[in-house]
Amino acid sequence: MTKQGYHGPLEKIDDFCWRIPKDFKPGMRVEGRIFADERLLALVRNDQSPEQVANVAFLPGIQMASLAMPDIHWGYGFCIGGVCATDPAEGGVVSPGGVGYDINCGVRLLRTHLRVEEVEGRLTQLVESLFRRIPAGVGIGGPYLFDPKRLRRILAEGSGYLQTQGLATDGDVEHTEEQGCLPGADPDQVSQKAFQRGADQCGTLGSGNHFLEVQVVEEVLDEQAANVMGLQEGGICVMIHSGSRGLGYQVCDDALRDLRNVPAQYGIQLPDRQLACAPVESREGQAYLGAMRAAANYAWANRQLLMVQTREAFAEFFGRSWESLGMSLVYDVAHNIAKLEEHVIDGQTKTVCVHRKGATRAFPAGHPDVPARYRPIGQPVIIPGDMGRASWVLVGRPASMERSFGTTCHGAGRLMSRTAAIADAKGRRIDRELAQQGIVARARSWKGLAEEQPGAYKDVSLVVEVVHRAGLAGKVARLRPLGVIKG
Amino acid sequence: MYETFEHTADIGIRVRAADLNGLFEDAARGLFAVLVANPEAIRPVQELSFRIEAQRLDDLLHDWLAELLFAFDTRRVLLGEFRVGVSGDRVEATARGEPIDPQRHQLDMEVKAITYHGLKVERDGDGWLAEVIVDL
Repeated sequence: MTKQGYHGPLEKIDDFCWRIPKDFKPGMRVEGRIFADERLLALVRNDQSPEQVANVAFLPGIQMASLAMPDIHWGYGFCIGGVCATDPAEGGVVSPGGVGYDINCGVRLLRTHLRVEEVEGRLTQLVESLFRRIPAGVGIGGPYLFDPKRLRRILAEGSGYLQTQGLATDGDVEHTEEQGCLPGADPDQVSQKAFQRGADQCGTLGSGNHFLEVQVVEEVLDEQAANVMGLQEGGICVMIHSGSRGLGYQVCDDALRDLRNVPAQYGIQLPDRQLACAPVESREGQAYLGAMRAAANYAWANRQLLMVQTREAFAEFFGRSWESLGMSLVYDVAHNIAKLEEHVIDGQTKTVCVHRKGATRAFPAGHPDVPARYRPIGQPVIIPGDMGRASWVLVGRPASMERSFGTTCHGAGRLMSRTAAIADAKGRRIDRELAQQGIVARARSWKGLAEEQPGAYKDVSLVVEVVHRAGLAGKVARLRPLGVIKG
Repeated sequence: MYETFEHTADIGIRVRAADLNGLFEDAARGLFAVLVANPEAIRPVQELSFRIEAQRLDDLLHDWLAELLFAFDTRRVLLGEFRVGVSGDRVEATARGEPIDPQRHQLDMEVKAITYHGLKVERDGDGWLAEVIVDL
């Protein structure tokens, strides 16, 4: 299993978009399109991810093109950064690989009234207090235990359930994608096993590339949008990146098992077994969608509880209520999800199943699904970077609706395998290197830092530059990490 | 015998054994070696039984490892000793281990799932070879 690059065609459409022609592989129903610039193109060719973009083009009902964002890298079936939309009316399918194991992995950003000067001198203590309070790491459960009955409500209602328990404010719910609850969630489609895994993991960070970061707004590039979001240069923010934990992984695993022989039953031929799918309008398709939505709701509840614990930590540390610290939620976005959305395709409005795997919704100003506060500026898009470099806040722009089903990138994209990152980090103290840059890092395991070391990722600013220039999303602010906790 | 190999964002486990039983046992050891840095510290104090059925041999391996991962994630146990019987479309196994102890066990990476990518269980000369990639 050696790592191979992609040697197939990549034809320039414009400076920020490249085509894989439909005739590259017989069976492609549409062409492939990868958003990238010349700089990132070399990295795009580094692995087989463009081939995966071509494979997705085989899916029945696929509309317009099989897409990938500039943070593209290899994944299971679909590449990370992969986007496609299928039309159920044309036998369009839903594919769990187009969502990922970590259903509704996503990220939320909290602003605060605090300024960097108030935090700098006490950063280590603040990070350590977060590290003590926020459950993170392998095999770690959290303090919130939900019995099956309450877990069902989380699966059905997401953040809405927590609101009834006084664990989410109106503002929290309003500023979460889908208001923290995808309609059509079906807890009955979630297995006993998934329930068991989810019982004590809601409100836990997880491990791998999940993190909680204290950040400072380093530069505002769109003052009007930043003001609407309550972001100013020098302001302290907290970013939380996590997903649906073991419950989501189990839902995906269950679905892949259930779909083992299904594509053949519907006469669907696939170039890759991992594109296992079923028509949206089939029993199997509806079963997966019902379970996936339930897992997505669990993930929103997870991020909400992580935020609750973060607010509690700050309140205790600063000796003031979180409200007086101004710790309101800017926005929460999903970047592994499948949704039924209306899009205009060839002049016709269609309801399509949009798959975003390592890609973020980016609806523009005026779109009805954007919360009222942000409708004048566009939907906030939160882009986590890597530990040593920047994170970004963007807003959705109109071209996203024409070019990418209202979608933009999700992050930086891995460059180095975890083993290579760990080998590269051997003998190095990543936490000290970060400390030299003024970043306090705490992780449960050494490998947790080493495998996530900044060198393991593409430069997120290059990725963001492409989506900005391609008109998918516009830069609002760049955030710099000050402290990070990881599992 | 097992070893891990590099795979983009994740990690692969490659196993070689003389027979299928040994192959499945070593694959299990390989999985726990990814989960914990010092698998040799796992004490065989408690025993769990497993019974898995799948039509294809590679799916059987997938499901065996997925069951072990599930046990790890829900019962918070680490397993170190395995006795596996593979026959036809079935695995019957016992595994011995102990509850996770953060003081002694160096928990390493979170394995989200056992994937199907490059999943193989095949004859290799006189013995068997298996490869599986786990999502981190």
